[in-house]
Amino acid sequence: MKLLVPIKRVPSADEPVRVRPDGTGIEDDGRAFMINPFDAIALEEALRIRDSHPDGGEVLAVCIGDSEVEAELRTALAMGADRGLRVACEASLDSLSVAKILAGVVRREGPAMVLAGKQAVDSDAGQAGPMLAGLLDWPQATFASVITFLEDGRVQVVRETDHGLETLRLCLPAVITADLRLNEPRYASLPAIMRARRKPIETLPVADLGIQPRSRVVQLRMEQSTMARECVRVADTDELLHRLRSEAKVI
Amino acid sequence: MASLPGLSREIFGNVSAEARLLFYGLSCLVVAVLAQAVIRRVRLWLRGRPESGLPPWRTIGRNLWRLALLQRRNRGRTSAHAAHLLLFGGFCLLLLGTTLIGVEHWLAALWTPAGGGPVFHKGLYYAIYEPVLDFAGLAVLAGCAFFAHRRWRQPRTSPNAPGDWLVLGLLASISVTGYLLEGLRILREQTPLPWLSFVGAPLAHGFAAAGLTAAGAATAHQIAWWIHAVLALGLIGLFPYSRLLHAIAGTLRLAGGPVRLGNLRPVSIEEVEATGELGVTRIEQFSRGQLMALDACVACGRCDQACPAHEAGQPLSPREVVLGLRAEMDRTVLARSPGHPGEGTSDEGRDLAGEVVGSPALWACTTCSACAEVCPLAVNPVGFLLDLRRATVTASGLRGTPAQALQKTLRAGNPWGMSSGERMAWAAGLEVPTIEENPDCELVYWVGCAAAYDRRIQKVARSLVRLMRAAGVNFAVLGNREQCTGESARRMGDELLFQELAGRNLESFRKHGIGAGGKRIVAHCPHCVNSLRQDYAQMGARLDVVHHTEFLDDLLTSGRLAVKGPDGGNAAAPLTYHDPCYLARVGGGVDEPRRLLRAARQGAPFTELPRKGRNTACCGAGGGRMWFDEAPERRAGRERLAEIEAAGADTLAVSCPFCLVMMTEGLAARDVTTNVRDVAEILDDQLQSDSTA
Repeated sequence: MKLLVPIKRVPSADEPVRVRPDGTGIEDDGRAFMINPFDAIALEEALRIRDSHPDGGEVLAVCIGDSEVEAELRTALAMGADRGLRVACEASLDSLSVAKILAGVVRREGPAMVLAGKQAVDSDAGQAGPMLAGLLDWPQATFASVITFLEDGRVQVVRETDHGLETLRLCLPAVITADLRLNEPRYASLPAIMRARRKPIETLPVADLGIQPRSRVVQLRMEQSTMARECVRVADTDELLHRLRSEAKVI
Repeated sequence: MASLPGLSREIFGNVSAEARLLFYGLSCLVVAVLAQAVIRRVRLWLRGRPESGLPPWRTIGRNLWRLALLQRRNRGRTSAHAAHLLLFGGFCLLLLGTTLIGVEHWLAALWTPAGGGPVFHKGLYYAIYEPVLDFAGLAVLAGCAFFAHRRWRQPRTSPNAPGDWLVLGLLASISVTGYLLEGLRILREQTPLPWLSFVGAPLAHGFAAAGLTAAGAATAHQIAWWIHAVLALGLIGLFPYSRLLHAIAGTLRLAGGPVRLGNLRPVSIEEVEATGELGVTRIEQFSRGQLMALDACVACGRCDQACPAHEAGQPLSPREVVLGLRAEMDRTVLARSPGHPGEGTSDEGRDLAGEVVGSPALWACTTCSACAEVCPLAVNPVGFLLDLRRATVTASGLRGTPAQALQKTLRAGNPWGMSSGERMAWAAGLEVPTIEENPDCELVYWVGCAAAYDRRIQKVARSLVRLMRAAGVNFAVLGNREQCTGESARRMGDELLFQELAGRNLESFRKHGIGAGGKRIVAHCPHCVNSLRQDYAQMGARLDVVHHTEFLDDLLTSGRLAVKGPDGGNAAAPLTYHDPCYLARVGGGVDEPRRLLRAARQGAPFTELPRKGRNTACCGAGGGRMWFDEAPERRAGRERLAEIEAAGADTLAVSCPFCLVMMTEGLAARDVTTNVRDVAEILDDQLQSDSTA
């Protein structure tokens, strides 16, 4: 079975994000980047499906961006993906453009399943997966926490919603987006990264997909949110209730 | 002593020429069995990876004398130690005595002295020989009695319990038949001065009193002689097949000296690149010394008693690790012996990491090295676990928060994953010079990631800076150039990440003349200190590294640093001290922190914890355990927290950032109000002049 996993490069979540003074974006000088954690979960699930499937398969990791995103693609290969594909594209993209590019890649590669993260931790839109399913006219299951293969060839997905767990059965091909509790991704150690150097990464100009990305959403300006909070330690719940009532006036 | 010249006894007395021949035949057979079995074990060990050369012969001799013969490592359990000394000493004397008899017999056969008497087994020598060997037999019996009693009272799930009883039974019955033989011989031969054999002589009297005649004694003597001979030969043959194997493998292991705590097996990158393998997935990837150590283990279980993870109920038993690997070593050699269907294949066995040693056990180890420290035979369970961790990490087998810590270290150069641009945030307002700003400094302060990124530990670094300023130390820091030492990564099995980080740090050291003969390094983290000392030495670096407690102690004793005495208030509050494993056990720093505390808190009541110094108990954060997301009540070290709580001190002093974090969290979880503070902070309280705030 061929599985396609889109990978997004996002700023590392361990250090505070600072907005550039001119508001054009975030400070990326010397800052670390990483695979979007939900994409890593999706990749881990794809690897498990490949390894547990009797006739094996192939896991294809796809990145969109300039040559810098190849670092994340390498990490994906080190985790165990068989092949990497970078869609070369310098432009800044909105969710629909990403979904269109991915749809182009899916038509070219013909995977049985696209496993994506439920959202990227930088923009938090959570749109690319559902839009991709829409463009392909494939069934989709978002926020997956359990994925099981049924004997009739369908896939059963338990998804975590605000109202509880929902169980869906899908026919393949399908788009599934991964939630936090789906699995614990493996650590790509340096030896694995070294071995991954021998795995192929293909670069595909976005024009070769017949797509001219044109973002409908344009980012005008970014501002640093202010963290002006005052913390007070209260003695007990009574004082807390009193302060919430009389000072904060929230209850 | 007029009768001394005639004093002796006949060798092989009352044993016919045919019987002697049969005995010689049996002896040859047993020696052949022993030799074959020992050669088989040695060949098993030689399947391992060769190690760098032997220690100098003088060292080997000293180790054998101190560790094997004097049993210096056999401390701990007092009564068992004494009993083992008796058993071991008695056995050695009896073995020596029997060997001397053999030498005498052969000398007499080669060169018959005038008169046909013994060569040296006579006179004064004999007068000393007899009581000494009688005493040795009693010692063996006493030892056997103790161990039999203990085994009876506390039956243990030893893998070879029936075999252990057999060994004890054999040792005891060889002594008993030896005495019977002696009594019968005295009765038969009417040996002069029989009281020299102070156990045999009363027995002879007893036999005579029971009506045994000299002729009857001769027959009984022949029967007893054969029983004694067969038992003794049986014991020799049983050596390599029983617990007694430790006497051979253990002696060889002890010849190599004690375990170098905190020292891991070096890894050559060239080899990793050539073979594509890192760590141990097959038993023969362990070193020869490690395989020999597997056979040295006598399964006494002291390691389990000392292990903090075992104590906390985590699924780690260092003894089971060693015994499991030994069983695997036995199994693979059986599977690969010629004619066996599995010959020549190596992957038919169970996975070493995951099956032989379960994954939870593998990752429960804090590398505190308590097991290696207490092992009487200098076996190092940590070394085995580390090699298995390396293979697991290489095969991407690590998940969860520890995997994330490694990922962050890989990404950002520190396990917190914070930007190196933030590395100097701890020093805000202190104007700490970097090495670029102060290239002529005498010493470099290695801040470490904990002090750079953890708000609590930042205070320790600030205190240390104030103390060094007060003592007029000309120091600098590496600033944003500093990277994690890689200590945690290395002990979590990520050797390449460690070497990558060490390479970057060594580049900075070279650039700024930091090293032996150049600038010293002071660090407040014992893990960093050990890594810079031992891990970096394997990377070819020669660094002069001190822990801040050693350094401050030097400053204090040389008078460069002066602290006020007690000034009432907080300074008189009761105090206790927790020894960090990597400072006390690995680094040997036990007295310095105590001297500092005494100087800072003269007169304050100081309580020692039950386990202290090299015998300290781990906080649970070493070996990468810091990065495991685990509730304080499940962590290794919770018994330690109970000890601290029982000490009832107002302040718990520590000298390791990991201990500080773990103890603070652990005590808070138990609602204990004890303040946990670094020794440097306590000393900083008492600075003469209030310098920088």
